[in-house]
Amino acid sequence: MKKSLALAFLVFLSAVQFLNSYGVQRFPKPEFESGYIQPETLLPNPRAEALALMDIAVLIISLSVVSWLVIKKRSRNGVFWMSLFALAYFGFYREGCICAIGSIQNVTLAFFDHSYLISISAIVFFVTPLVYTLFFGRTFCAAVCPFGAMQDLVAFSPQKLGSRLNTVLGIIPYIYLGLAVLYAATGTDFIICRYDPFVGIWRLNASFGMYMFGGLLLVTGIFIARPYCRFLCPYGVLLNWVSRFSRKHITITPSNCIQCRLCENSCPYDAIDMPVTVKNPEDKRTMGRKLIFITFLIPFLMLAGGWTGSRLHEPLASVNAKVKLAKQILNPVTDKNQAETFEIEAFKSAGKQQAQVFAEASEVLHEFYIGGWILGGFIGLVFGGLIVGRMITKHRTDYIPNKGTCFSCVRCVDYCPVKLP
Amino acid sequence: MKNEKKTSEKTIRLLQSIAFASAMLAFVLCILISVNYFQVKSSDPLNSPVMKSLTEKYKSNPDDEQLKAEIRELDLLARKAFFTNKWQIRTGGYLLLFSVLIVIICLKSVELIMVKLPAVPDDKTDNFWNLRKINRKWVAYSGIFLVCISLLFAFLTHNKLGETLDLTAKAGSMTDSTQKNTNDNLATASSTVATDSTTQTGKDSTASIQTMDGFPTQQEINANSPAFRGPGSNGVVFQRGFPTSWNGSIGKNIKWKTAIPLPGYNSPVVWNDKIFLSGANATKREVYCFDLNTGKILWQTLVDKIPGSSATAPKVNGETGFAAPTLTADGRRVYAIFANGDLIAIDFEGKKVWAKNLGLPKNHYGHSSSLAMYRDLLIVQYDQSGNTNVMALAAKTGEQVWKTSRDVKISWSSPIIVNTGKQMEAMLVAEPFVISYNPATGKELWRINCISGEVGPSLAYADGVVFSVNDYSKLAAIKIGSPPQLLWESDEYMSDIPSPVATSKYLFLPTSYGMMICYDAKTGEKYWEKDFATPTYASPMLADGNVFQMDKKGVMHIFKTDKTYTSVNESPLGEGSVCTPAFANGKIIIRGDKNLYCIGK
Repeated sequence: MKKSLALAFLVFLSAVQFLNSYGVQRFPKPEFESGYIQPETLLPNPRAEALALMDIAVLIISLSVVSWLVIKKRSRNGVFWMSLFALAYFGFYREGCICAIGSIQNVTLAFFDHSYLISISAIVFFVTPLVYTLFFGRTFCAAVCPFGAMQDLVAFSPQKLGSRLNTVLGIIPYIYLGLAVLYAATGTDFIICRYDPFVGIWRLNASFGMYMFGGLLLVTGIFIARPYCRFLCPYGVLLNWVSRFSRKHITITPSNCIQCRLCENSCPYDAIDMPVTVKNPEDKRTMGRKLIFITFLIPFLMLAGGWTGSRLHEPLASVNAKVKLAKQILNPVTDKNQAETFEIEAFKSAGKQQAQVFAEASEVLHEFYIGGWILGGFIGLVFGGLIVGRMITKHRTDYIPNKGTCFSCVRCVDYCPVKLP
Repeated sequence: MKNEKKTSEKTIRLLQSIAFASAMLAFVLCILISVNYFQVKSSDPLNSPVMKSLTEKYKSNPDDEQLKAEIRELDLLARKAFFTNKWQIRTGGYLLLFSVLIVIICLKSVELIMVKLPAVPDDKTDNFWNLRKINRKWVAYSGIFLVCISLLFAFLTHNKLGETLDLTAKAGSMTDSTQKNTNDNLATASSTVATDSTTQTGKDSTASIQTMDGFPTQQEINANSPAFRGPGSNGVVFQRGFPTSWNGSIGKNIKWKTAIPLPGYNSPVVWNDKIFLSGANATKREVYCFDLNTGKILWQTLVDKIPGSSATAPKVNGETGFAAPTLTADGRRVYAIFANGDLIAIDFEGKKVWAKNLGLPKNHYGHSSSLAMYRDLLIVQYDQSGNTNVMALAAKTGEQVWKTSRDVKISWSSPIIVNTGKQMEAMLVAEPFVISYNPATGKELWRINCISGEVGPSLAYADGVVFSVNDYSKLAAIKIGSPPQLLWESDEYMSDIPSPVATSKYLFLPTSYGMMICYDAKTGEKYWEKDFATPTYASPMLADGNVFQMDKKGVMHIFKTDKTYTSVNESPLGEGSVCTPAFANGKIIIRGDKNLYCIGK
């Protein structure tokens, strides 16, 4: 039965890919009057489809192996070698594309733009790590994500940042996620890919600014372990949420914690929750009141955030191609020494009506207005959630990895003197 | 045991040294790659000064084989250097990656050898609950900071773009058909002078509302010839593709020719497929509309029964006549003024919309200042004896919106409307000042004392410099601003009727006795002078990179806007002409002494 299902699934995937490649050939060639000679039609490289399937297979196999190494074998060495493999395959060989982080945008765009044909690999890369995380924690971050692998490699002298800085910087990924979704939903840009700090290194091809950004992150990563994963990665936000509900998460000790405190400073990512034995000095009634106040404050924070976000819709939309073009038409180049932009040249040669451009840009602005409300509301909710989260704490007696922020790198395990026979 | 320890210490030292050396190599590579990168970025091998000068030389001497070979060699060298630099960056990148890899391997090996044993940390007892409280505060502070920054950013960048787009889109859809016709022309519009009201609509939502029902966009204006000397009355045509060769006697490139019922020295104005002009004698005044494609008179409207209009005809000079001022059009209506002060607005079907008399002009040659438009305001320069002023009337109703008194002498020049890059300005000239006004309010922006006499020629503007000229006075180049600066002046050649025209580099000054002089616009250096040997009353027009200058015999002298005089053609109309031609939709409309001509390929 399982075999049949798997076979049917593979047939379905192949059919979809076949239809995609067939779709490419639908339209006739444009006819040029300038004497341009049409290049020979090239059929889609059959290997490209096989590669996509191979990527999926490698992802699933890697996730399975890493999850087994983390949960069952508790092997740091295994995780380390797997991370090298991920860096080599997904990083240098596949040049960072496709990746789970960027797939957020593909999925979002497919959700909002039905004319966008999302590839199977994008869906699989988006869903699979989340599914594995739901069962085993963030094993994807441990040794399958090339971003994490790259940074993990250079974390030679990780320093503790302190809870304040960790908390404040930890807000950035939520904002980045919101922005990435907004820009993808409006069809404006894939900002995660545009500002991918490491893809330039893997491809040896990037703008100077992006090289600098990537280099800076790696240098920072020597002292602050995995800065991108902790303070930027938008996919990490989703993994963090899902991981909190993970069924089998790595534990520091395989048995009972003996409170030896050897693991206390073992985590370079400040992801170990210490025992909370001291009772909250505030009495229950005060805490309850505060909690109710904050809970009621959340809708207000969302509203305030939404309103603020809506005020920002124009600057946010200014990078959209349609809005950019409309602005350029409204404010044409007055300096004759300055050449016209390509956008204006293209617009003029296309013979499109200005009114149409303005109407389209206006529509995009409206989308950004709505999106600004949602983005702001989301960020307001995040702030509210973070405050509430810092009010509720379960009493615990053991040292345990924080299910949300732990990358399952298995470093802490080596520090635990309790070993399985 | 001791030996083992020693060996491992040695290994560690060796690995650390390798790591250090590799790190240094990586650092040096980083610097070299950066330097190389900036070199590649700043180099433009095919536009180097040497290459440009050689190319220029080659243009003037295309048969020089040695020069050709030299250019090819230099081109090859430049390309080689460029691609070698690129190759160096890529190779450097690989080396950098390799050296970083060595550093990582060494340091990881050191980590493996120097196993750090877990240790119990110092007994620091952070107050957990206090820490949480502080964290909550920090989250709140971050939120407040984020909101403040966002609002500040929103405030600094907000420019009502949405409203502007909505309104402009609506306005645009009303004029879609016009846009469709004009887009092609706009695609190649040469913009020596920038006059843009859409820029302003981007900043002023009230103006946008007016756009919807009251006035054309700048694109529409530039795609037509709505006033004396084209858009902005500045002598610059914003379209391309005009004929340079025709002959009225044999009909070459003459699309049509139609007799004009009444005489007049005003120039034609064109809006889409309609041409407007006026004619008058001592007793009768008329406005005509011709079909651009066929030359057929679509309608002619008699201008009469205007309240306040004088029964006696004004005294005019024979060279001015009763219909010297050129009309103006805004896509909705056409506006005309006559020597007796009659001012009329007529819709495109020939129906009178409003009319008024501004009072019989006290003017010994006859009133000749042409009308101009700014958005939905009709700008009237009315420099009459003892009563010199400029006013703006609402285009739709004729009601006076503003009127500014001018402490100048009587004049015959016309206003120009230009976008200086900062704002729209209406610039007027009359003894003794060139004065700039805000066309929306009539408020004076700046003035400069630089001219004398009975001023006939209008101003020319390009690239922040305005040029004034008058006979028995001087030619002056003024850098606009508050205060304006006199850049240079000359009293060698002057004009009493035709107006000059300018680009950012050159000023072309015609004289009524048939000379054409080209100056460096910024320094006043005279580049060349050309005697056409025929008197000239029409003003030159700048189109397709050429200057079109009509002489009184009807011969159009067409020459390049260049440092040296290069004639493109001399095309005779077969009839005398004193009017400035209009350029629109690939056609040149010329008012001859008796007939209206359409020249087209």
